[in-house]
Amino acid sequence: MSIEHLTIAVLLTFLVATAIGIIVLRDLLAAVILTGLYSLVAAGAFIVMDAVDVAFTEAAVGSGISTILFLGALSFTQHEQKPRGRDSWLALLFVVITGGLLIFGTLDMPRYGSATSPAQTHPELAKRFIEQSADEVGPPNVVTSVLASYRGYDTLGETVVVFTAGIAVMGLLGLKRRRPEDETPEHAPGDLPHEPGHDTDRLT
Amino acid sequence: MPEFVLILFTVVAWVLMLIGCVFVIAGGVGLIRLPDLYTRLHAAGVTDTGSTIFMLLAMLLMTVVEYQNPWIAGKLLLILFFTLFTTPTASHALAKTALLSGLVPVDENGKPIIESPEMASKLALSRAPEHGEVAIAPGVNDGLQKSDGRGNENNDKSEGS
Amino acid sequence: MFVAAALALLATMILTIARALLGPTLYDRLLAVNSFGTKIVLFIAVFGFLTGRPEFLDIALVYSLINFIGTVAVLKFYEYDDLGSGAYQEDDF
Repeated sequence: MSIEHLTIAVLLTFLVATAIGIIVLRDLLAAVILTGLYSLVAAGAFIVMDAVDVAFTEAAVGSGISTILFLGALSFTQHEQKPRGRDSWLALLFVVITGGLLIFGTLDMPRYGSATSPAQTHPELAKRFIEQSADEVGPPNVVTSVLASYRGYDTLGETVVVFTAGIAVMGLLGLKRRRPEDETPEHAPGDLPHEPGHDTDRLT
Repeated sequence: MPEFVLILFTVVAWVLMLIGCVFVIAGGVGLIRLPDLYTRLHAAGVTDTGSTIFMLLAMLLMTVVEYQNPWIAGKLLLILFFTLFTTPTASHALAKTALLSGLVPVDENGKPIIESPEMASKLALSRAPEHGEVAIAPGVNDGLQKSDGRGNENNDKSEGS
Repeated sequence: MFVAAALALLATMILTIARALLGPTLYDRLLAVNSFGTKIVLFIAVFGFLTGRPEFLDIALVYSLINFIGTVAVLKFYEYDDLGSGAYQEDDF
């Protein structure tokens, strides 16, 4: 077993452990922190698997922006998850079915590092991208040409999804007024924000 | 570059990397075994900075030996530069926020060394004692009661004179 | 050399994740996550040298900055219970 396989195995184990931690925790702020950790671990796994661009995105979006967006959402709500009445078996069923379908979908893909994957058996495509993309499209970076031109519709679809998500988040965070301003004035930076006793209760 | 210099660089890189590994593992063990947040903060903060310095220096030497690429060396130095700024800053912010929220540090017997969470919050909002001034101990410096983030400077000046 | 360093970092990551999951306070988790970020920056750098492609150092650089931003954002939120200190309101949109 090479060091790469060992690393991937360890990092995937981290992912599972962190995900279980996120589910179990009642403290939402701690769950947000663990979500950032999850993204960090996932990005590390992507790097070990040579998906550097995905790792870049995962680190910037998952660990950076979405943590801050979660915090912004938390400032409208409580820090503690309400105890659930009873677990919904229907929801569990849907999640299991969806997960099963996703795993079933991956069975058609070539295995990780497989020598018989289409990218290996059709080298003329990669050769054409590398040799002629500068003439056909223009940018010196081949990845940019592939993303923006050869698979441009795919990228357009992705961008639409991300844009919609951005609008939705802006709407959720921006349209709702936080609290009436005349009742609770904003505290100045450096003031004690809460009663200290309240804070220690929240710590554990 | 002559042969013996490269060998020397490799040996030094080995030593530095091993020191870095010892730092890393010591920090991890400390993070698990030490009793409260502030001691863990000490373990993690110190070893993070130390191991980063040693490991990145080792990689810098190996860059000279193997790659001779100034870009790689520059990136390593940039990582070192940022880490030296960000890790201590994050540790400081973490300790200050913990103290401000009333998390009381304990001594080796598990006894709190600050009377109450309120006192810890006040301590977090106060400034470091000037040279020659008595450090703030529980109940000694009651003048801090009125101080908050903004009025802090004025209070400290009037007390110091 | 780099194999040893990678193994040491992986072992320490296990301990760090354990602290992040155990808690008990929020700050312990935050400390563990911050420490894990430093470890993974080092791991990416070491892994780049291990596989003979140190070009991945760019990502280590980005990580070290993002990690800091995340930690400080959480701490600021916890201290003031708000991210913008009232800087943006409904009227801005």
